[in-house]
Amino acid sequence: MILFSSWQGEVVDNRNKKEPKSPKAIALPEEFKPGEKIKAFFGWDGIVICDDSVDPVDMALRYAEAMLNESCGKCTPCGQGARFMRTLLEKMAKGVATNDDIEGLRSLATLIKSTSKCSIGQTAPVPILHVLEYFGEEIKGRVSSKKPAQAGRYRYAVTAPCLNVCPSSLDIPKYIEEIREVRFEDSLSTIREMTCLPGTLGRVCVRPCESNCRRALVEGSVSIKWLKRFAADFEMGHRKKPRLPQIPPSIGKRIAVVGAGPAGLSCAFYLALKGYSVTIFEKSKEPGGMATYGIPDYRLPRGVLTRYEVDIIKGLGVEIRYGVEIGKDIMLMDLHKDYDAVFIGVGAQTSAKMGVEGEDKGYRGFIPGVRYLYDINNGMDPYPEGKRVVVVGGGNVAMDCVRTSFRIGKTDVHLVYRRSRAEMPADPEEIHDAEEEGVLFHFLCNPTRILEQDGKVVGVELIRMELGEPDQSGRRRPVPVPGSEFILETDILIPAIGQAVDLSFLAGCSDMKLTKWKTLEVNPDTFETSIKGIFAAGDCVTGPDVLVRAAGDGRKAADRIDQYLRGIEPGPSDEERFDRLFSKIKVFNKNEKVEVAGGMERKELHKLDPEVRKWIFDEVEKGYMPSEAITEAQRCLRCYRIGMIAY
Amino acid sequence: MITVTIDGREIQTEPGKTILEVARANGIYIPTLCFLEDLLPIGACRLCIVEVDGYDQPQPSCVQVVTDGMNIRTTTEKLLEMRRDILKLLLLDHPLDCPICDKAAECKLQDLVYELGYDRAIAEGSVGVPMLHKPPVKWSTIGINYFPSRCVACQRCVHVCLERVGCGVLEAGKEDGTPRIFPAHPEKCIACGECLSVCPVGALTEAVSPLKARPWEKTKTKTVCPYCGVGCVIELNVASGQVIKVTTDEAVPPNYGTLCVKGRFGFEFINSDKRLTKPLIRQGGSFREVSWDEALNYVAKKLKEIKEKHGASAIAGLCSARCTNEDNYVFQKFMRAVIGTNNVDHCARL
Repeated sequence: MILFSSWQGEVVDNRNKKEPKSPKAIALPEEFKPGEKIKAFFGWDGIVICDDSVDPVDMALRYAEAMLNESCGKCTPCGQGARFMRTLLEKMAKGVATNDDIEGLRSLATLIKSTSKCSIGQTAPVPILHVLEYFGEEIKGRVSSKKPAQAGRYRYAVTAPCLNVCPSSLDIPKYIEEIREVRFEDSLSTIREMTCLPGTLGRVCVRPCESNCRRALVEGSVSIKWLKRFAADFEMGHRKKPRLPQIPPSIGKRIAVVGAGPAGLSCAFYLALKGYSVTIFEKSKEPGGMATYGIPDYRLPRGVLTRYEVDIIKGLGVEIRYGVEIGKDIMLMDLHKDYDAVFIGVGAQTSAKMGVEGEDKGYRGFIPGVRYLYDINNGMDPYPEGKRVVVVGGGNVAMDCVRTSFRIGKTDVHLVYRRSRAEMPADPEEIHDAEEEGVLFHFLCNPTRILEQDGKVVGVELIRMELGEPDQSGRRRPVPVPGSEFILETDILIPAIGQAVDLSFLAGCSDMKLTKWKTLEVNPDTFETSIKGIFAAGDCVTGPDVLVRAAGDGRKAADRIDQYLRGIEPGPSDEERFDRLFSKIKVFNKNEKVEVAGGMERKELHKLDPEVRKWIFDEVEKGYMPSEAITEAQRCLRCYRIGMIAY
Repeated sequence: MITVTIDGREIQTEPGKTILEVARANGIYIPTLCFLEDLLPIGACRLCIVEVDGYDQPQPSCVQVVTDGMNIRTTTEKLLEMRRDILKLLLLDHPLDCPICDKAAECKLQDLVYELGYDRAIAEGSVGVPMLHKPPVKWSTIGINYFPSRCVACQRCVHVCLERVGCGVLEAGKEDGTPRIFPAHPEKCIACGECLSVCPVGALTEAVSPLKARPWEKTKTKTVCPYCGVGCVIELNVASGQVIKVTTDEAVPPNYGTLCVKGRFGFEFINSDKRLTKPLIRQGGSFREVSWDEALNYVAKKLKEIKEKHGASAIAGLCSARCTNEDNYVFQKFMRAVIGTNNVDHCARL
């Protein structure tokens, strides 16, 4: 039960109330970790107190200490004022403050809040001001009675809207600040603390951070992705030696990683950095998994991931064995026996079924999206005679399929999607680029039948759809309009409506538990599968998801494997628990009025002309020049903020 | 062109400029401490805050660009109060050692305090102003002293090192909760002293000259640095007939306010007691002080003798890097036209 809350200006005071109300603005979980109750939460938008044993003055003091720790000292009000604020709160907590001190604290906190450069200074005084405002009587009583505060136990962490939603937990404000300060290599080191694929993510990430950027509430989000790409390209382009942490002496334990995709590579990289010897088993001839075979070259030039970034990982002593298929060449359980731990990151590599008549018949011209991209990335056209293409689906794979089609010489390219443009899960930028290149979109249509002649696809029958009530995902469910069938002639039909996990690697391993979606079941806290010592992350656990999540989960799994091999009970670190807590509280408030007058537009990248680029595989986007990157980095508002719990 | 209103004045300006730029270009004064014209805005001191219509919180004018129709106020009672409070924070434990500080009377903080006024502490009895003079700590070069207690953490030095010099020696950080600057990468330091030249207070002081002087005791003489072919404009700060410091002029090409280690710190030789100021002639084992006429006659006679006996090629001339271009020009002309040899060289070539 919440005793008091002032979150986002919504004051709920249940002290001495018979019918307690609960605040709408905040949903605070009961526990921070099993057995550790959250007694109070102080944060950027106010205070929440759940237990009357919490002394708000003591907590405000500790919050001010946290602010003092986190204040970077780069602006006067917060850098110089935080110390003084702590001094005044210390006096209050000791019970020796005067009324002047309290007034001084109030005006100081207001000054820091109004004039500081970044959000540490702009938000940290908020809970302190709330304590002064809503617990004023108690504070006054303490001034007269000279009663010292009761010391409690607290934990705090720093977050930011972008950082909190990043599945790889990149310290985004920090690396952007380093670009602003012309410390490009430091910036890349910061990125590498959390991901080993900066050049890849800098090109193809779906950037949840940018939709949670406070600058977007002013005039447009900071281009976080392109800045990351800039830092990565700077090192690569200037042939700088990658700066990596010192590898500790070998621990002498061996780990097998199945699949050299983003999850497997990330897991291997961070395990190697901890001193383990890692062997990756990869079915294909090249590393990168879906990032290599699923993403065309015009978005991610082959060399960035498969040569440069993988070479860095190999440079740490990670061995990659190509052409080895688990479940065929080596059995999973043999790996389990031979290695101290096994990590599975096989991804979701097979196309999901559309449920359309004729899709199992093996017609020439019916090519699943993932297969289509795989062949093209291997340098061949899966069906050279076919010139007309219809792709079904609205995700990024569908976008890759349509845009690649022009590049291998297809003349008519259509995209069929059962909902409308607003519901398309693909990156809006990709949709825009595809449209520029001349892809014809058919929204609110769904295939019902494949038309064939002599075993070849000659067309597809589509039915018009209309949007009904929202479903579980929040998107409006499409409903067929009876009798609205029509025919679209085509040579090639490509379903790209999702992928499934190819479970053939589990041959001879019946103990592995699966979810109802036929993905591996893992403990979300430990990434461990139902078999002890076998861990898994990435698309084979989550189902088809974004690269940045696979990479992030791969890194987290590396931490758990390390804990497991050191004999520590594997589990999330306090930072990860804080991340979860903060995402429940929600760091980004899209209704916030950001007090920045704006006027600095987002710096867009130069792109090749659509008429030129649609026929070639050259990279479409040209990265930032250093001066452009610095100007863009200046737009970052550095929205760090502190969340503190009492337990 | 867009129109903005600053303090009731309508101003036509180009988009993309900051409020501070537009205000300064139109003669409207906004106080700053960390701002440097040729750098990207630092935004550290927060003294340049202004009020913009539609926003509850003040906007930093050095960072904030103007947008069409913006209505800006630069001097309201609320802003002045905030600026004063920010200054108070800077003075919280800034030592009042102005009488022994090199920067006294040239100090931006002194000026700002004088301008905005400083009357009372934030909360009575809580501000202590240590009067103790703390010794300087090590900087990235021996030519500069750093007094952390005087530092206002404006980070001009950090950004000048990054953006103007391109070295990135300095980092802003904190020590015991107090902001200060760290020479984090001394190995990258080229001792150019740009950090010293931009320090608004006496946190960075020049450690070369033993003699110091207040600004009104100094005369500044503009000249050209003799060290290399760039020809930077320098100002020799002279007091008691001695060069005590080299500064430069931000408005003048080719260096626009920048200097290198030689130009800024290489003036010791002028006042060196090892420097020859009178001609000497060696007689036996020792030198005899002579008049210029005697010395020149002696040299002319000897050169003539050598030239007659062994030819002009037996003579070579070596001149000094510390002479001006004009001196060196005349010197080589003399060697070629009068002596008749091309045997000329210069110590800076080594």
